[in-house]
Amino acid sequence: MTEFAHLLAFFALALSGLQAWFGLSGQAGAARASAHLGFALMLLSFALLVRAFMISDFSVTLVAENSHTLKPAIYKFAGTWGNHEGSMALWCLVTLGFGAAAATFIRTDRETLVSRAIGIQGILAAASLAYLLFASNPFLRDLSPPLQGADLNPLLQDPALAIHPPMLYLGYVGFSLVFSLAAAGLMERRIDSTWAKLARPWTMWAWIFLTIGIALGAYWAYYELGWGGWWFWDPVENASFMPWLIGTALVHSLIVTEKRGAFAAWTALLAVLAFCFSILGAFLVRSGVLTSVHAFAIDPARGLVLLGGLIVLGGAALALFALRADKLGKGPAFEWVSREGALLANNLVFAVATATVLLGTLFPLIVEALTGDQASVGPPYFNMTFSPMLALLLFALPVVQGWAWGRASREGLVRWGVALAALLLASIAFGMMLPRPDFSGVTLEERLTAPFGIGHAIGIGLGLWLVAGAAIELFRRALWQPGRVFRLPGRVWGMTLAHLGIGVFVIGAVVETGLRYERSIVLAPGEATEVAGWTLELDRMASVEGPNWYADRAFLTASRGDTSVEMAPDKRFYPAARMPTTETAIHKTLAGDLYIALGEVRASEDVTRWSFRVYFNPFIDWVFIGTILMSLGGGLSLLPRRRAAVTTRRAEAVAAE
Amino acid sequence: MNWLAGLFAFLLVLQEAPLADPEAEARAQALMREIRCVACENEPISQSASDIAEDMRRVVRQQVATGKSDAEVREWFAERYGEFVLFRPAASGFGGWMLWTLPFILLIGAGLVAFAIRRRRAPVEEIAPVRPESIDP
Repeated sequence: MTEFAHLLAFFALALSGLQAWFGLSGQAGAARASAHLGFALMLLSFALLVRAFMISDFSVTLVAENSHTLKPAIYKFAGTWGNHEGSMALWCLVTLGFGAAAATFIRTDRETLVSRAIGIQGILAAASLAYLLFASNPFLRDLSPPLQGADLNPLLQDPALAIHPPMLYLGYVGFSLVFSLAAAGLMERRIDSTWAKLARPWTMWAWIFLTIGIALGAYWAYYELGWGGWWFWDPVENASFMPWLIGTALVHSLIVTEKRGAFAAWTALLAVLAFCFSILGAFLVRSGVLTSVHAFAIDPARGLVLLGGLIVLGGAALALFALRADKLGKGPAFEWVSREGALLANNLVFAVATATVLLGTLFPLIVEALTGDQASVGPPYFNMTFSPMLALLLFALPVVQGWAWGRASREGLVRWGVALAALLLASIAFGMMLPRPDFSGVTLEERLTAPFGIGHAIGIGLGLWLVAGAAIELFRRALWQPGRVFRLPGRVWGMTLAHLGIGVFVIGAVVETGLRYERSIVLAPGEATEVAGWTLELDRMASVEGPNWYADRAFLTASRGDTSVEMAPDKRFYPAARMPTTETAIHKTLAGDLYIALGEVRASEDVTRWSFRVYFNPFIDWVFIGTILMSLGGGLSLLPRRRAAVTTRRAEAVAAE
Repeated sequence: MNWLAGLFAFLLVLQEAPLADPEAEARAQALMREIRCVACENEPISQSASDIAEDMRRVVRQQVATGKSDAEVREWFAERYGEFVLFRPAASGFGGWMLWTLPFILLIGAGLVAFAIRRRRAPVEEIAPVRPESIDP
């Protein structure tokens, strides 16, 4: 069956070639048919690969290297993309999928544009398939198959990690279609309002998937890696964050192009860059040029092929851009105090922020190449460069989000300025007044009211400012009549929810990083200790066994006041992969998570003790709720306008008569 | 020998104990978050469960307790394990300066370029404002 899958993938490659040829030569019908057929064949091929994993067909090398008969079915399934070759196959499938989706859903009178976009998508699909088949083939057989597989990296055997890669790829590769549309638009020198209307939903979906994908990854890192954190400015995290930042700039600049026909060249550039950064991300993650906690499927040689592809593809697109940029429309003039001005500022900050993340991520590589020294760039760097830049922009957001196109009224500016100054002063005062946190035997209440620095206080002020700003904008749009709020169009709700989500996220992120409590404790069964306002008692230790792992499990009772909960963190060992993992125990409270990871055993002659890392992560859920709100906002902004729908229906009725 | 084992176990418990002075403990924890565990893949010693990270945490607490400043602690680690160990790269040398200042230079530069482009296309006539509500949200 795998040979058949292999053959189908070759057919899919041939069809993407045809798709490219037909599309670029303007034969839209044939290009659409090739796109559909190519996707169907690859879907079947991928399904057969999944089947090989499900039935543990160890004669397929990839399955033997990454699966195990005892693994739960869901991880056999998800294990298909838990490795380099399989994930590239998924990448190809999604690229073809977006081509087929474009062929199905894009309906416009600009047939050449769509035809060329499908054609360019065909080139991208052909390039990925060629890379898959010639440089990372998942369909190869082993003539003397092993009796048992080597198992999937146990860290990846987790529900969040089963859906994280598909989400991430829908995001990364979603930008491939935006790239194709931009290249097609540049070819015919027309990046205008119609083009932006076409490109916006695709960009938004890619952005939503990427947002969800990154959030899932962060959540997984939070509860699976056992270090209590959710973001560490790690190279692999940055690799997914850069396309997200560019994508965020793009969804904003697209609005200007759609509504005003302006920023055309800039929008096209961002559309090209979003996909280039996606490929760069894939390269950084797979090539092993950077050390990371999350790096997987490392192979320098194949990484280099990816880099080469990126240079060729990005170079061609940028050359096309350079040739055509000055032929694009400029749109009507605007003053600085205008919606255009505000969105321009947004774009500048997001672009520079992306450059900053890129610089910080690549700096160790550059230093090593030039001087041979090793360097590390970590959270302190990004907290002092990236964060203030974004904070500056976000402080402006509530003020500018209601501005008119062309020239905004300056009437309310003084009031906003006074409010902002008052907020900043209050935050600084709040930050200075409160004492430093006490880390010994504190109660939870003390900890949450204990302040921690002016920077953090300003951060919380910013979060509240954004939340209030979103609410104010919503009511302003509803002309201050609460009843009208729910009749506002989806795009207003989308914008407001996304901006509200940023506010919620900022509060969560600042409180969590500033007030996180972490401590190591050592306990023998029967002993108890006081941590983070909770009393932790180790009741007993047990050995437990799962389908493909065995573990030491600690049973602890955590009590505070009247509440008492049982918590059971594991330290698992996966014999097939010969790797340990930590399964943390998390108790959620309104104020945050009590989080326990089981560490090493400390045996001495008379007593065996166990070490634990205990964390209290305040407001951690706000980080994830904020991201959910952002994705939800993105989705809502795609809802068709109700009034427009009604008018069309009326027009149709008139036409029918 | 039993008392020795007992003492040993007691020391094990002690070594991860926070410093008595909350101010010093807060500083020590902040430092632990930006010193890299030398045996791990890109993890600070505050997060790592490895033995060497535990040793390094103890050293940080000792040094903070003996009154060393943050900079002195960082310097001690950099001297012993190399610059690699610091997640806060030094702003010294050409590379260090570029790393720390380039983002802000870029931000100002990009702002100036945008300003110049818009100025070149400056409108002659009065611009009529268009409420976002009147074309779409």
